[in-house]
Amino acid sequence: MTASIDTRVDFAGIPLRTPVLTASGTFGYGTEFAPFLDLREIGGFVAKSLTLLPRSGNPPPRIAETPSGMLNAISIENIGVEAFLAEKLPALPADVVVIASCFGTDPSDYAKLAARLSESSRIAGIEINASCPHVKSGGIEFGQDPILLADLVRRVRDASAKPLIVKLSPNVTRIGEMAEICQSAGADGLTLINAVQAMEVDVETRRPVLWNVLGGLSGPAIRPIALRMVWQAARAVDIPICGVGGIATAEDAVKFLLCGATAIQVGTINYINPQAAAEIAQGMVEYASRKGFARLADLIGALILPER
Amino acid sequence: MSPPKPECGPPIRALAEVLENHREGGSNHRLTLAIEGWPGAEPGQFLMISAGAVTAVDRTDPLLPRPMAIYRGHARVGSGPARIEVLYKASGRGTRLLAEALPGQRVRVVGPLGRSFPPPTASTRAFLVGGGTGIASLFELAARAVAEGAATRVLLGARTAADLMGVGDFGRLGVELDLATEDGSVGIHGRVTDALRPRLEQPSDRHTIVYACGPTPMMRACSELAAQSGARCIVSLENNMACGFGVCLGCAVPVVGGGFSLVCRAGPIYEAGDVAWQGLP
Repeated sequence: MTASIDTRVDFAGIPLRTPVLTASGTFGYGTEFAPFLDLREIGGFVAKSLTLLPRSGNPPPRIAETPSGMLNAISIENIGVEAFLAEKLPALPADVVVIASCFGTDPSDYAKLAARLSESSRIAGIEINASCPHVKSGGIEFGQDPILLADLVRRVRDASAKPLIVKLSPNVTRIGEMAEICQSAGADGLTLINAVQAMEVDVETRRPVLWNVLGGLSGPAIRPIALRMVWQAARAVDIPICGVGGIATAEDAVKFLLCGATAIQVGTINYINPQAAAEIAQGMVEYASRKGFARLADLIGALILPER
Repeated sequence: MSPPKPECGPPIRALAEVLENHREGGSNHRLTLAIEGWPGAEPGQFLMISAGAVTAVDRTDPLLPRPMAIYRGHARVGSGPARIEVLYKASGRGTRLLAEALPGQRVRVVGPLGRSFPPPTASTRAFLVGGGTGIASLFELAARAVAEGAATRVLLGARTAADLMGVGDFGRLGVELDLATEDGSVGIHGRVTDALRPRLEQPSDRHTIVYACGPTPMMRACSELAAQSGARCIVSLENNMACGFGVCLGCAVPVVGGGFSLVCRAGPIYEAGDVAWQGLP
């Protein structure tokens, strides 16, 4: 790292050594990356979304490649909150920032999860997955409905004193409104965007490529959409935003900071390059150094707009 | 599922140099890579390989690397890079781009990944059954079986003689070799399972092991033939994968007793009786 650049940011009350986090569902429980990456080279990670009980996912096919992206319909397969606390969390180095992601089909599930996770001093914050685009009974309804979303955030807020982050769905018309609702309901920060609801078809077999028919589109294909939504949300609220969606390079990450994000998450590219998050963190320092910024935090909202 | 155990050194991510990349008949290709720092691999493990050579500008389309069986790994000479061969069929967008990679160009690799075949012993009667590119998973296993002194028969099948891969390599191991082609251009006229069936007519015990890798219907048929005969059957499954190391959860296959297993971590090697075949796409 270039010693002269201050890489630290504060996101939603969580001090991060760099603004680079990794996105839920793309980084397992952290330990999977041990052969490739020193977890202390990144700001931290958001663990795979947890449910109260272990949960099995969808039948195959679960993923498919699309132009500069991929579709997935996994359906929140996870080991459950108790196994996570007992087995996964203790396996991580003590100084790694771990944000837990919660998923449920009812607001009380989320509240119970947040309360249970908040008992652990190893959890730096709670991210609400209100936007999973491929589970019929959960996710998308919360993230798309202002009343459901406000109620959900309030219930989790009451259940946990940890920094509370809401991950928003891109599958809405007015993202700024959803951001405001979360802020009013007590969220400390926002993460956006989750995968974009999408579909693909195999013409040879005349079948959808996914068993679930619909899936979530992620990867570089969605980056300009994510950037637009971060920009709009950042103008709507005062709470900090973590930008995510198709970030593959340090330059991509910088764009999100310029548009108002305080931190970013690396997602799909972790699959392709398990060292990407560390490379992006390093590349952001090189960018700041080249552009004469003393602190990465100085990039936040530093977009130069055309004069009107 | 029990937690995966590392089989050799932990996987690495590397830029590999293309030493050779040529057509082997039909749309089959053989790619030879030089990989620095390679930790070694066990029979049945695989690699993730970028869909095409590294170009001047990082390509995001096709986005995902492709899982490919390690066909043959040559012993390292001194401290030099390891020489790893893979066999693949240039059929989709990614593999057609990979077929354009020239010697001297580089591809990105992550590996070795997955669990290996349970090793045969001197008392094993081994039938290695490969269909299409599935043949690629079996070469190192055949070499191991021969080294252990197992009675080893390799059965290879493909649509036509031109589609058959690795026949010369297997032949040089000194194994018994049965070939089958659907057009009858070489070996028996039919499927590779038609070549296996008469070999399992006598009742077998658990020392008889059918190792199968190929299209799902072929592996399922091998599983049934082995079960009828009382033999053990071990398969190497293929699936879509984005990562290869247990994170994307894209490669799940249904298993007997309910739930799913990740081909990349719990597999790709399975006891055939553990796979819920009817649930595979």
